[in-house]
Formats: sequence, structure tokens, C-alpha cells
Amino acid sequence: MIRLSDLSVGYHKETVVKDLSLTVKPGEIVTLIGPNGAGKSTILKTVCGALAPVAGGIYIGDRRMTDLSDAERARQIAVVLTEKKRTELLTCYDVVALGRYPYTGRLGVLSDEDRARIEEAMELTGVSEFADRDITTLSDGQRQRVYLAGAICQDTKVIVLDEPTSYLDIHHKLTLLLLLRKLAEERKLAVLMSMHEVELAVKISDRIVMVKEGAVQGIVSPDELADGDRIAELFNMSPELMEFFSFDFGKRGIDT
Amino acid sequence: MKPKTMKEKSKSKSNSRIMAVYILLLTALLATFVVSVCFGNVKIPADRLARLLFFREGEETELAILWKIRLPRVLLAMILGGALALSGYLLQTFFENPIVGPFVLGISSGAKLSVAAVMILFLDKIGRMSSFAMVISAFVGAFAVTGFILLAARKLTSPSSLLVAGIMIGYICSAVTELLISSAEDAHIVGLHGWSQGSFSGAGWDYVKVSAIVVGISFLLVFFLSKPIGAYLMGEAYAASVGVSVRAFRVMLILLSSLLAACVTAFAGPISFIGIAVPFLVKRALSTARPIVVIPACFLMGALMVSLCDFCARQLLAPTELKIGVVTSFVGAPIVIYMLLKKTKERGIS
Repeated sequence: MIRLSDLSVGYHKETVVKDLSLTVKPGEIVTLIGPNGAGKSTILKTVCGALAPVAGGIYIGDRRMTDLSDAERARQIAVVLTEKKRTELLTCYDVVALGRYPYTGRLGVLSDEDRARIEEAMELTGVSEFADRDITTLSDGQRQRVYLAGAICQDTKVIVLDEPTSYLDIHHKLTLLLLLRKLAEERKLAVLMSMHEVELAVKISDRIVMVKEGAVQGIVSPDELADGDRIAELFNMSPELMEFFSFDFGKRGIDT
Repeated sequence: MKPKTMKEKSKSKSNSRIMAVYILLLTALLATFVVSVCFGNVKIPADRLARLLFFREGEETELAILWKIRLPRVLLAMILGGALALSGYLLQTFFENPIVGPFVLGISSGAKLSVAAVMILFLDKIGRMSSFAMVISAFVGAFAVTGFILLAARKLTSPSSLLVAGIMIGYICSAVTELLISSAEDAHIVGLHGWSQGSFSGAGWDYVKVSAIVVGISFLLVFFLSKPIGAYLMGEAYAASVGVSVRAFRVMLILLSSLLAACVTAFAGPISFIGIAVPFLVKRALSTARPIVVIPACFLMGALMVSLCDFCARQLLAPTELKIGVVTSFVGAPIVIYMLLKKTKERGIS
């Protein structure tokens, strides 16, 4: 379980988003949505420890995150980042194995248990067959699942994902989201992520945090977003845009 | 069970490849060692080498040539070659850019300037500089340039402009060094000009000892950084997320790469291209970027290439001796050009 309490985030003491209070329980998926530049990534970076909170606190269980060492934090929160980094000459297995970093010894040599966890995570995410492939030869969707496997074998209670579905085609978007749903339920993971695709966020999330212009506009259930008014407001969309956007694909005569 | 056996098979295939590369490197290094100490103006037959080397028995002149001239020179070239490759590897990790090295970033030139300045200013007073003093002054120069590069890197986000900045700093430092040397022309600094071009001709046992200590300790520290380096390959934010204390790690990278580059420059002058070419070749040969295998191989390959280049520098136009930089440029520059072409091609595809 992860709890954000009156959290303000930003760079160099300059607040980007303020007063976010939120609890993500085990098995729950909470998604941040909002326009570009609203501060979603800043929130996630703060939650995963890459940025210090400007004010307020982040609690994992009953421990304050800033009191944890880097290694302790890494055993509590795993992160899947959307970095388009081209790391050559690493196999998918090598990449997933980095998830065991907080548990291996000084030289990072893998134990039998580490190997078992890595293989389990790769099987769960369906990337076992890529184990010996160079990570750069995979498609974006496959690579994202490899990164997710790395986060899973990090064996944490919380997983944070920054726009995990961006750059993926619709097939891979849906595959990844279903996988997240399954993982959250089966492994009792608390999942906090950001997404651009509002229509998919509604399908996958238990709760949705609307972020805009440095403030949290509300934390709502997917149903509460269904009428579209809040989305129109959040993304500054005119009635024409909203009509074009329309949630219900059936109504617009598009086969689903 | 089929996929598992397949996985194991390819795992052992990659392991045997790594093993093969290491055996090849060690054999080549040994061969280079033997050839380098045996060949020269006076040839020492290989069958007498063992006795000269292990029992210190044999002809007086051969003993002297071996122990006073060739052995320290070959050992120094190997130690510093390894240091140079490691320094390049660390800088590439730090800047997340395969085309950087101590020479192109101007770090070697900064170390050179600092050593030359100290030599000229204090030579009259203290006579000959001690080996440690040379390393320390080189480190100050190397570190000053590295600091400047770091400041520049904040403003210059594109890797190519960072490189240009480094090359320019290198030119400025070289120009100032030349100026110092020319204006201080006197009997004390006859060797200074040669040194500032890069050469192992001045190698003595005190250089070997000091560099073995400095490089040996640095190598161990780098080896123990292989775990965080592995995570850092996936980016700074990722490394932080799996528990690397990124700030301390980055400081270590910079200190160690400066120290290694400084040690090389202090004892042999600036040597170009090895720092870039070796890590690239090693990763290709091993077919993996896993630091724990790459780091020792980098050291061995650097030792091999520099001692080979030094042998060529001695022998190609004998009795005239070439500067080591001439040979390393011939070998290293084409590799770097190949790397650039390959990178551009990859970018074209993606």
C-alpha cells in the first residue's frame, strides 16, 4: 500500500502540482490523466524517489519514504519508465535481471533464487521466448513487457508506470493493460500510473486522478467520467471535439 | 521443458564465447610481451628469456637491456593501456555516449598542461619531479577539465556539441602547453617536448611501481562498480529506481576516470583513440555489454593495444622512434570513424 499525504511535487522547491492526497491499496490500479505538462510525470518521479517532495509525505505501509535508504526503497517500489534508450548488447534476460538489483550482492551475481524469480516474471509477462534476444531487436510492445518483467521480479508491493502504453499499437496497448490488471489482482500489487488514452484509462482503472494546471481536479471512479463533462473540462474540449471523441464506439458505427 | 534447454544451450554458448575472448586476449598479451622484450636493436633470443627473466642470469648487456629498458617500458605500456581503456569506458558510461574518451574530451590535454606547468615552474627548485607529484599534478589538470566539461554539459545537451567543446578545450590546453614549453626552452626540459607528444621511452621502474599502485587500486574500484554501471546502462532514472545512489555513483565515475587518465598522461603523455576504440571492440567481441565481463576485458584489450602500438612505434622506422600517438591514431581513428558510420546507419533505420 502506498499513501500520498498532502503531497506537493516540483523541481528545485518550485511546485508543479500541489496537495495530492491519495491511497493506492493492494490490487488496485490508479491512473493519472490530464493534459500534457500538467505534472503527471513529476508526481510519478517523486513517488519513485527520483525527485524529493516539495511538501507533504509519501508513506509505504507506515514508513515515510524519505526515511528509507535507496536500497530499501527499491524493495518497496518498482518503476517502469518510458525511456527510449537504446542499450546495445544486453539480452532481455540481462535487462529483466536488473530488477534483482536490490537483492544481489556487491558484484550483482545472481543466485538460484534470483534466477527463479526472473524466469517466473518473464513467464508471467510472456517474454520467456525473448530471453536471449538483444533488447534493441524487440518491438516497443515486447520491450515494454520486458521492462514490466524487470519491475515484477523486483518483488515490490507497488509498481509505478509512466505512460506505459504510449508508442504502442492498439493490440499491444490492450495486451499490456490486461496483463497489469491480472498482475494487480493475482499478486496484490498497488499500481500507480499515468496514461494519455482516457478511453483506456477508464476501462482499466479502479480510480482516476485528474491533474490539470498544477492541481488535482478530483479523484473519481471510471463511472463518474463516463458522461464526458469532466473530461471535456479537464482537456479543454469543445462540444464538437467531444462529439467526435465519444466514448461509445458502437454509437458511431465503428466495429469494436 | 524444451525452451529451458534451449535457453541453457545459448547461455553456455555465450559463456564459451566470453571464455574464448579472454583466452585469446591473455595469449595475445603474453605473445606481445615476449616479442616486445626480445626484439629491438639488440635481439634477445626467446630461449634465453626465461633464464634472464626468472633467474636474472645471463650476459651482462642482455640483462641490462632487459631489466633497465625493455621490461619497465613494456609493463608501463600495458598498465597504462589498460588504464586508458578503463578511463574511456567510465566516461562513456557517464556521458551515455560511446564516442567520448579522455583524449577527445580534452582531459588528457588538461593533465598534460598541468604537468608541464608544474615541471617548468618548479624544475629549477626541485630538480626532477617525483612520480607521485607528476600523477597528482596531472590529476589536478584532468579534474579541472572534467569539471569544466560537466559545467558545459549542463548547457550543451546534445552530445555532439559537448564533444566539440571537449575538443576545443583540448586544443586550448595543448596550445598553452606548447607556449610554455617554447618559452622555457632550456637544458632541463629537453625531454619535455617528446613527453608532451606521448611516448613510453622514458619508462623506469619508479613509473611502473607508482602506476601499478594507482591503476591497480582504481581497477579494483571500477570492478566493484560493475553492478551499478549495469543498472546505469538503462538510464539514470532507472538506476535510481532499483536502488543506485546515483549522485555518489556519478562522483565515483568522474573521479576514477580522471585519475586513470591523469596517470596515463603523467607517465606517457596524451595517447589518442584507445579510450574510445577499446571498449567498443571489447563489447563487440564479447557480444555483451554486461560490465562485470566487459571491465576486465577492457583492461586486457587496452594493455594489448597500447603495448602493440608501442612496439610498432619502436620498430617501424627503427632506429628512429615514432611517437605512440602516431601509431594509435593509425589504429584507433579508423575504428572510431567506423563507429560513427554505424551509428548514423542505425539512426537511419530507427
